[in-house]
Amino acid sequence: MTAATTGLPSAEVTRPRTVLVGTMFASAAAFMAFVGVVLVYVHERAEAVGSDSEWFPEGAVQLGPAGFVLSTLILSIFTIQWALQAITNDDRKNALVALALSSLFGAAVFNQLWFIINDTGFTLSATNAQFMFFVVLGTFTAFMISAVVFVALTFLRALIGQFGPRKADSVAAAAFYWNTVVAMYAIAWYVIFVTK
Amino acid sequence: MTMTDSPPATDIAHADSAAAVASPVAGLYEALTSTDHKIIGRLWLRAGVLMLIGAVALGVLLGFERVDGASTDIFGGDNAYFQVWALYRIGLALLVAAPLFIGLAMVVAPMQVGSTNIAFPRAALASAWGFMIGAVIMIVAVLAGGGWGAVDQASGDERDAVALTLVGMAMVVISLLLGALCVATTVVSMRVKGMTLLRAPLFAWSMLVASAVWLLTLPVLLANLLIAYVDLHNGPGTFGGGLSGDLSIYGQVDWLVQQPQVYAFAIPVLGVLGSIVPVTAGVRAGRHGLSMGLIGFFGLLSVGAWAQPYFQPTSDAVVRYDEKFVYIAFGIAAILPVLGALGGAADALFRGRNNFAGLPPAHVLGALGAGLLLLVGTAAGVARVVEPFELGDRVTTSGVMNLVLFSAIAAAVAGMWFWAPKIGGSELPPMMGRLVAVSLIGGGLLLGGAQVVNGFFETSVVPLVAPTDDVGDALNVVSLLGMLLIAVGVLGLVAALGKALRSTETAADDPWGGHTLEWATATPPPPGNFAEAPALVTSEAPLLDAPTDEGGEP
Repeated sequence: MTAATTGLPSAEVTRPRTVLVGTMFASAAAFMAFVGVVLVYVHERAEAVGSDSEWFPEGAVQLGPAGFVLSTLILSIFTIQWALQAITNDDRKNALVALALSSLFGAAVFNQLWFIINDTGFTLSATNAQFMFFVVLGTFTAFMISAVVFVALTFLRALIGQFGPRKADSVAAAAFYWNTVVAMYAIAWYVIFVTK
Repeated sequence: MTMTDSPPATDIAHADSAAAVASPVAGLYEALTSTDHKIIGRLWLRAGVLMLIGAVALGVLLGFERVDGASTDIFGGDNAYFQVWALYRIGLALLVAAPLFIGLAMVVAPMQVGSTNIAFPRAALASAWGFMIGAVIMIVAVLAGGGWGAVDQASGDERDAVALTLVGMAMVVISLLLGALCVATTVVSMRVKGMTLLRAPLFAWSMLVASAVWLLTLPVLLANLLIAYVDLHNGPGTFGGGLSGDLSIYGQVDWLVQQPQVYAFAIPVLGVLGSIVPVTAGVRAGRHGLSMGLIGFFGLLSVGAWAQPYFQPTSDAVVRYDEKFVYIAFGIAAILPVLGALGGAADALFRGRNNFAGLPPAHVLGALGAGLLLLVGTAAGVARVVEPFELGDRVTTSGVMNLVLFSAIAAAVAGMWFWAPKIGGSELPPMMGRLVAVSLIGGGLLLGGAQVVNGFFETSVVPLVAPTDDVGDALNVVSLLGMLLIAVGVLGLVAALGKALRSTETAADDPWGGHTLEWATATPPPPGNFAEAPALVTSEAPLLDAPTDEGGEP
């Protein structure tokens, strides 16, 4: 039975926002994986504190550098939204600049994380606290790498002219995933560096 | 068209070369490169059926071992016995139930929503192959002495094999997530015009709910695997990396097959039930919106990642999650949507009683039986969470798992019989289907039911603890008989699939008088699914509402 046999008008076959919807599902999954790791961290710390054990050595984890990472990521939220706004307005030049800046901020985050990890002097096998510190930041780094790759690919596709005002879905998807990763770091920042 | 869409020309090229695909090499080439959702779905289904055969074989061996644990040593030691037991439990969920539903959904869901293909077809193909490779890695690693820990205080230093098990399992989970993402995105964003989400067919809706629950909970399992893996190589050895005589890795993943998370693998059972029964009864399904709500409610109650042992306090001063109100409330409430779905099916059967003649079709037997198994499983789950019985650590846990997962498997098999014309182009043999349905349902009831009852006699869920009395022994024999009956059903399934593969007869386009869009296309469906764009959808049963060819009312 087809449109012809039913006598009803044919329906339009549309694919609205497929990339964006898929990215939203993937972002939710990535966020839950990260939350899973963070909750184990929280649980381990609560157990340690409950048994009057020291979690991190005094002064080993500094709030300052971690705050710089958060500031960088907050700046990147503005640039990634700028990219989305620009592509929606068909302003490709601004969109390219904004996407490139976002990737650059991502690279800066790796640099700062590397500093933080070296600064603590932690080793993976020393204690549960140091182990979980690495696992949480390592998981975040993996998601950050994927976000930078996503934005870089979006930049390349924008460069060859694949996106425009009526086709901004991929940029919106990259922005959504990027913001999810920033939210992940905000959680890690609060849990690891603020509440220690 | 975005880069992620598949060019229709590719699919047409596949169709044109259908004759060339007669040879195994051409078939393999197609399976490796095709972006047609029907071919990818069939890959998932084949993998699921293969894993089902393996899981049932393991189940039979485990049954024999448990019947006479003192004198039988099939596996060559306690450690190997534990590894196989854990593989069976995790495999039944991740390697059998979930892939069967994803395969079915990959074939059926795009057609049900009027789409020409699945969303992200290349990702869907990658998910199928990733699953198969991950499953092989996981199984081989377990057989090589890996697994999820050791119990005999002597083994457990096969670190590479254990690490490989974790890698294989992670690969399987990621592939399932990728497949679920493709299915969910298809249902959300590729519906034909006029088909609002509230008009989506129940199977497609149930797969959307199941996919969403999997996407929100299985990543937490990935987090567990990551922590265990890193600990194994370089960690302090307190997260499962200690290994010798350590069950902590398995302890961190077995929430997957315990309530409430195990219900997540059975969400599509309600969708299959709601799709098959009204069509066979020849009546419109009543209260479509309520059915969708019940499926969504069941999905909500099956979110169980919060109940994993990592979040379990070790201090006695803190209340355990399984003593909390939410856990108990979830366990008790889970039976309600199942009862509601079965009530809807009964209503459809009652209203359509005049349309029946002869034996009920295999797919109806399978769907109703699956609903019954799920009802018994959730009822046993209620008994497990209420305090007086204290069945949490008893073999009742395995009983609930087997009832729920074999309900999922029976529903997937019923779906294969129902949608066979759209999956493979020909119908599956009806008599053999009835045998398969009865064997799976009866076997599942015997297996799971006996284990549920056995828990009341204080038999432990841990397989190495021998039963303490004659009643326990007798119930273990009943469980084994149930597993043997399931094995008969699986043999029947394999025979039926083999027969259908050799069949040259093409089924009718709509042999059951279907209500949803997959029945509006030819059998087998052409590339792009619809020769013409589907008619404008104005209800949840567009083919019931469409005027007949003569221009009259349907």
